[in-house]
Amino acid sequence: MAQGASFPYEQVAEIGGGAYGTVYKARDVESGKFVALKSVRVQTDQDGLPISTVREVALLKRLEQFDHPNVVRLMDVCAIQRTDQETKVTLVFEHVDQDLKTYLEKAPVPGLPPDRIKDLMRQLLCGLGFLHSNRVMHRDLKPENILVTSQGQVKLADFGLARIYSCHMALTPVVVTLWYRPPEVLLRSSYATPVDIWSTGCIFAEMFRRKPLFCGESEADQLGKIFEVIGLPSEEEWPKDVTISRKHFPPLFPRPITDFVPEMDEQGAELMLEMLTFDPLKRISALNALEHEYLKEEETPDTERESVAVP
Amino acid sequence: MTLEDDLASAAATGNTAGVEDLLRKGADVNGVNKYGRTPLQVMMMGSTAVARLLLTRGSRPNVADRSTGTTPLHDAAREGFLDTVKILLEFSANPVAVDNSNCQPVDLARERGYGDVVAFLESL
Repeated sequence: MAQGASFPYEQVAEIGGGAYGTVYKARDVESGKFVALKSVRVQTDQDGLPISTVREVALLKRLEQFDHPNVVRLMDVCAIQRTDQETKVTLVFEHVDQDLKTYLEKAPVPGLPPDRIKDLMRQLLCGLGFLHSNRVMHRDLKPENILVTSQGQVKLADFGLARIYSCHMALTPVVVTLWYRPPEVLLRSSYATPVDIWSTGCIFAEMFRRKPLFCGESEADQLGKIFEVIGLPSEEEWPKDVTISRKHFPPLFPRPITDFVPEMDEQGAELMLEMLTFDPLKRISALNALEHEYLKEEETPDTERESVAVP
Repeated sequence: MTLEDDLASAAATGNTAGVEDLLRKGADVNGVNKYGRTPLQVMMMGSTAVARLLLTRGSRPNVADRSTGTTPLHDAAREGFLDTVKILLEFSANPVAVDNSNCQPVDLARERGYGDVVAFLESL
């Protein structure tokens, strides 16, 4: 890690905040390009940085060596010692100046063409499959951290940070959106890679609808909204030892997903349901989703992707 | 945090509703945040809605970065956002502005291989 002697990045605006520190849009004054700076303050002792931080940063650097097209580049890591007890670790990421939220908002009526949605989904799942095969979970996938370049290339951002932060942050309540959270997280029962697939299913629906699928205002409300679509799971499926009881919810039957996402074809609907499956163990994986009939046909060659007009 | 800090952040995150709201509350569309930048300088370059809103409200298009001399048109061209390039020009951005490396917007687009942006800027 660089020890902060030369730090060629100049902050230009704050673009995110939280319990862990602030995220900045900054400019690399040498190349002129924008970057995203993400800092975390960690406690240090005579042995230096905590081993957990070193390990997580090493993992991110290892991922970087694969140069995967669908995740943002990690360009630099800097550690600046603040005091005897505190060091600020700054991760410097490539900054893509458009997110999926903005991309969907600017698509002309009636929204993105079906082939464009398919291409975005392929790239999104490809990035996710890569992270999952390297045992990295995103945990907070949403349209704001799925970036889309001017050429329509998808790049996932903010992955692998959850663990770095959670190791060190005081558990300050931060306002985070519930809309892309899976049932198992809302019920606090388990957290593994299927978490990201649920979020991807929600985002898949949003690509067609151009508005979120489940807009809950509290954790219970979020679950209620989910069950209005997928139905109330059976008693056997309900996880054991969770704080929210199944009896809390009305007995709802599943409704056709096409009632909520009308423009979608049959194969798309099938894949979406495989992603929006209540039981995380039965939910489709990123790699299997890529093999699904909906995404399988007519691979778009890279050369063609370059020429796809931005809506 | 001043209103101008918030306005710059809203612009940088492509939050059109937030920009609208802050302008209504009296944030200065040409004011700088604590890093000395205007909202147009730091906006999410792909957000045509934010670009148009700021420019319609009188944002000056040719403010250059104090360290690199980069204008918003340089940034939009370097990132390949043809739609934003067009909006900036509609509001009188200078297409031949030079940054501290003596580059014009078209040079940055060419360097990154954004043929559509190059063709458009050369056709002016």
